[in-house]
Amino acid sequence: MEKVKLKLLYSDIKPELDMIEKELEQAVDSESPLLNDASLHLLQAGGKRIRPVFVLLAGKFGNYNIDVMKRVAVPLELIHMASLVHDDVIDDSELRRGKPTVKAEWNNSVAMYTGDFILARALEYITEIEDPKLHQILSKTMIEVCRGEIIQIEDKFKLDQNLRDYLRRIKRKTALLISSSCELGALVSGADLKTVAHLRRFGYFIGMSFQIIDDILDFTSSDEELGKPAGSDFMQGNMTLPVLCARKDLETYELLKKNLQKEMSDEERLNIVRTIRNSPAIEEAKKISEKYLEKALEELSYLPKSSASKTMRKIAFFIGKRKF
Amino acid sequence: MLLPSLDGKQWSADIEQTAKTVSIVYAALHAHDQVKEDILASKKQQLTVLAGDFYSGIYYQMLSNMENLTMIKHLASAIISVSERKASFYDEVVRPIKLVDEQIQKNEIELIETFYKFYGYQEYTKLAKAMLSYVRYEEELKCLKEGGQSRILQVLNKSLQYSVDTETWLLEKLDVLHDQVIETMRDAKFDYELKNFMLHKITPHQHRAEQLTREG
Repeated sequence: MEKVKLKLLYSDIKPELDMIEKELEQAVDSESPLLNDASLHLLQAGGKRIRPVFVLLAGKFGNYNIDVMKRVAVPLELIHMASLVHDDVIDDSELRRGKPTVKAEWNNSVAMYTGDFILARALEYITEIEDPKLHQILSKTMIEVCRGEIIQIEDKFKLDQNLRDYLRRIKRKTALLISSSCELGALVSGADLKTVAHLRRFGYFIGMSFQIIDDILDFTSSDEELGKPAGSDFMQGNMTLPVLCARKDLETYELLKKNLQKEMSDEERLNIVRTIRNSPAIEEAKKISEKYLEKALEELSYLPKSSASKTMRKIAFFIGKRKF
Repeated sequence: MLLPSLDGKQWSADIEQTAKTVSIVYAALHAHDQVKEDILASKKQQLTVLAGDFYSGIYYQMLSNMENLTMIKHLASAIISVSERKASFYDEVVRPIKLVDEQIQKNEIELIETFYKFYGYQEYTKLAKAMLSYVRYEEELKCLKEGGQSRILQVLNKSLQYSVDTETWLLEKLDVLHDQVIETMRDAKFDYELKNFMLHKITPHQHRAEQLTREG
């Protein structure tokens, strides 16, 4: 149902998105049958394609040319895919979107080479755009995303971290790449600098809201809906917003602390998921996500009304209410 | 990679900076080669994955700041080829040893070759390839003798199963590469000290000769 809603939201740019999907398949075509299979496995597992969608929509605020736009939209999704395949090695994850991860289906080394291959394909593809500024923005973002992941590892199992640590982490981990998708889409279409800045900030706020909702869903969705065990993030030691909100209750704090110090059984994991799901922490986290959403919508309000801004607004609302 | 510089060729600040980015790509790929199988995601393993990704971001950023987009494209193409060859070591196909040897040697030289081609220093490719391959096979031999295992050793074992044993093949290969280095350097007009330095890198390790002496 949720996926159908998303498809409807994308209906204005469906032909272009279909083209992007085909380009993605061609981009991961490899002389190595193994890399070909692994990359397609990842690609066909699906995904919201939110980054290429934002590239295309942002491009509508300038001189939109799909042949130019796809040179940015495809690599942005590839960069995201490459990071996912490596993340699964980092987190030792067996499932992603309900399917075995590349590392689970093959092994860690194949996952590493697949990620390197996909990332290199992205750079090979995007260098068709000969604008150094675009590459400076994107490379800076890639470094920051990586820094965010390193910080995430450093902060694991630290229940006493503050909200600012969390927000900084998700900014790097998720918001920056979505922000860059909007910024680069606008930049490459030749939109004026004010519009580029509004779209960059829109992407940033949407990205923050998106990640907070993702972190909420880790507790409120079932294993089936998530395509991986609920509470996985907590089990891996990631202190997400619902956890940081829930720890204010002393009893919950003690429960979280106790379980973080040992290997959790499935029953213990589900107990924590239940405790957080039924606590006020979820509502509190939702409110913070909504604040970011409001800020995103405010940025959109500064832009001329168009079908692109309308679609962006709808996507923003969808993100705030999504269930997957 | 520094052969042209050490040999007195033109070596501008731009070339120097590009050479650094190529080294960073080597570091990135090397980091990802260190990721192990069948161990729980230790902090070391996690940071190794991220170190490689971080280096990839750095090389991209350095070349973007230099506005050298052509080199970004060339290096990306080289990384694709290296990744494809490395991944092929994990499929079920048993390849002829000659092809495996070519793939291993190509992986060693690919990035430097890209750099040399870009700046017109192809004359150094043959020597660099022989030297790098020598170092690679020497490490594999060391690993084998210490009872270790690597993916390259596994692939060599698989390709050699009905002919010679892997240690003998490695010893012979090192001799061939040693001769190649000597021959290439004989023809080159290298600086005396540079020649000496490179010979020193390979001469103390004439494995086959040492083994034959021992056996004799």
